[in-house]
Amino acid sequence: MALSKTAHIVTAYGEELDQLADELARMGGMVETQLETALAAIVRRDASLVAGVREREKQVNAMQDDVEKRVLRLFALRQPLATDLRMTISALKIASDLERVGDLAKNIAYRAEDLAEYAPLSLLDQVERLGAIVVKQLHEVLDALSSADVEPAIRVWRTDDEVDERYNALVRQMLMSMTEDPGQVEPGVHILFVAKNLERIGDHATNVAEAVHFMVTAGPLEADDAKS
Amino acid sequence: MRQPSADERPLIRIRRRDTAAVAALGAIVILLFWMFGELGFVETLVAIATIAGLSTFYYLTVSTTLNPARGPDVDDSAPAPVDPQARAQHMLDSLPIPVLLIGAGGRIELANPAAREFLGLGSAAGHLSAVLRQPQVLEAVSTALRGQAVDPVEYSMMAPVESHVRAFVASLRAEDDRVMPWRAMLVLSDETSIKRADRMRADFLANASHELRTPLASLAGFIETLRGHARDDSEARERFLGIMFDQTERMQRLINDLLSLSRVEMDEHVPPSSETDLSALVEDARDYLRPQLEEKAIRLTVRKPASAPAIGDRDQLMEVLLNLIENAIKYSPEGSAVQIEIAGPLMRDEAERPELVLGAQASRLTLAAPASEPRERYFAVRIRDEGKGIERRNLPRLSERFYRVDGQKSGPKEGTGLGLAIVKHIVNRHRGGFTVESAPGEGSVFSVFLPVPAAVRERARESV
Repeated sequence: MALSKTAHIVTAYGEELDQLADELARMGGMVETQLETALAAIVRRDASLVAGVREREKQVNAMQDDVEKRVLRLFALRQPLATDLRMTISALKIASDLERVGDLAKNIAYRAEDLAEYAPLSLLDQVERLGAIVVKQLHEVLDALSSADVEPAIRVWRTDDEVDERYNALVRQMLMSMTEDPGQVEPGVHILFVAKNLERIGDHATNVAEAVHFMVTAGPLEADDAKS
Repeated sequence: MRQPSADERPLIRIRRRDTAAVAALGAIVILLFWMFGELGFVETLVAIATIAGLSTFYYLTVSTTLNPARGPDVDDSAPAPVDPQARAQHMLDSLPIPVLLIGAGGRIELANPAAREFLGLGSAAGHLSAVLRQPQVLEAVSTALRGQAVDPVEYSMMAPVESHVRAFVASLRAEDDRVMPWRAMLVLSDETSIKRADRMRADFLANASHELRTPLASLAGFIETLRGHARDDSEARERFLGIMFDQTERMQRLINDLLSLSRVEMDEHVPPSSETDLSALVEDARDYLRPQLEEKAIRLTVRKPASAPAIGDRDQLMEVLLNLIENAIKYSPEGSAVQIEIAGPLMRDEAERPELVLGAQASRLTLAAPASEPRERYFAVRIRDEGKGIERRNLPRLSERFYRVDGQKSGPKEGTGLGLAIVKHIVNRHRGGFTVESAPGEGSVFSVFLPVPAAVRERARESV
């Protein structure tokens, strides 16, 4: 992380900030994998993947605790200032957002178990497409976090509209096919929940984007700022 | 011949410093004594001289015992023997496979150029987790850092481009480090094309059979009729044969499109390296489409710079242009105008989000976007028609395979539903972008932007 590249007089301090960034990146990777696996479970109708997602969920929770402990320790021992302060505060926020993403991914994976009992829905490819965008959002924002780069963060923040758009289109179509064929109602409801969770994950990705923006520029991410 | 090793020289420097400090302290103490009248002038001088003499003697003794061979005979001027290490380093650098050495705490200690390129690693080496977040790989590396053997792990990424990678991790023992004796070597191998080929085959079969069923069913129906009660009706026979010909033509178009789509997808993650002039390409496309333009009496205006070089495969970019212009012609009313504009070199945002030209009702959507690369500049090609326009809610699905905006039948004259999907995949491969702006009743603007070659980019930056 660029922030820790600024050398500190006390090397142990710089080291601790480094480790915090490392832990956060690991957590991000974990959540990303969780989401990808959960989506694969839905799209490929493979309920055997669910156990893996659940396992990761525990690790993610442990990691969030760990990040919190590290942040607390940094505050207590080092009293970080300026960039370091923003980085530690953002780490706390980002960790809780990532933990939520992990939760939502787990919920998505659980739906795969239920969905496997029904015939494949024609709308699955749209879920896949929505999922692909959300995965990309998450990936880009985590990249932005690793490289402490604002530009991709702003892009993610802006692209959230597209996620909402796709989500709305999917809901509309699902409702339509549910009214046409009552047999689709039960699997349809599961699909709707999956889509909702994906949309929520998109929102968390924008939260992370805001935190990254704050960390780097010390300012909030606002609409007029995003246009420039 | 033994070269003086690096850690002896600083030692002498430290001794020298210590000696000087002690001598100076002694001199100051003696001077103080003299100032307070404890010592006479001559005694002071003698004492200082003694201290100086003793320190010099001590320094010389120390320096010669510590490093007896120090002198002009140990010189670096001797021809350096061919260093096997340098050779190994050279080999590592030219290896096309990403290889990394991970040190204690998961820090990247060494990465060969292939690895730097593969992971998008800058010159500064940091934690591995900053560039490769895959938990399986990080876990394997941690295990290897504890000195345990690890099996190869596979990981896949869905973003930014789908890729599948197999990672081999081996633990290496560093002889010179007693505290942290283990390092991990990480070798990555890209297996995307293999996996992709697999999936492509399944997709292709599903799509193709679905789309071919309709014309085939109609063919079968007509054949049945021709064999049955229309056998002797020559008028009906002529009409049916005409329809059947249209249907076979449609199937042929479909198969061509499917083939070209799967071809494009196969090398989607191999970026093209050649250069193509978009201005010349647009001219060629116009010549090619002249008959269709004349048939519908459509005026085609082109605004372009003298040359617009972009990184790209000429044939594929031609396919992009033909698809987009053909679409524009197809959905325009007779006698209307189609405008093509080439602009650039533009920054990413200028290329992706230009001013809306279709008024307040217009909505815009990015159908394909490159990974963000702030230094990149783009040439944008915008194709504007005066057709019916597309409703906002239909925009996201435009580049889906076989998707047709409602009300469009897949009749004999209509498209295969694959055109925009092909465009999107080609643009993705070129690391470019594809956007659409549309307003119902006003028309649509389809834009494609492609990265310019590095040389042009530099020139553009200088002129700013």
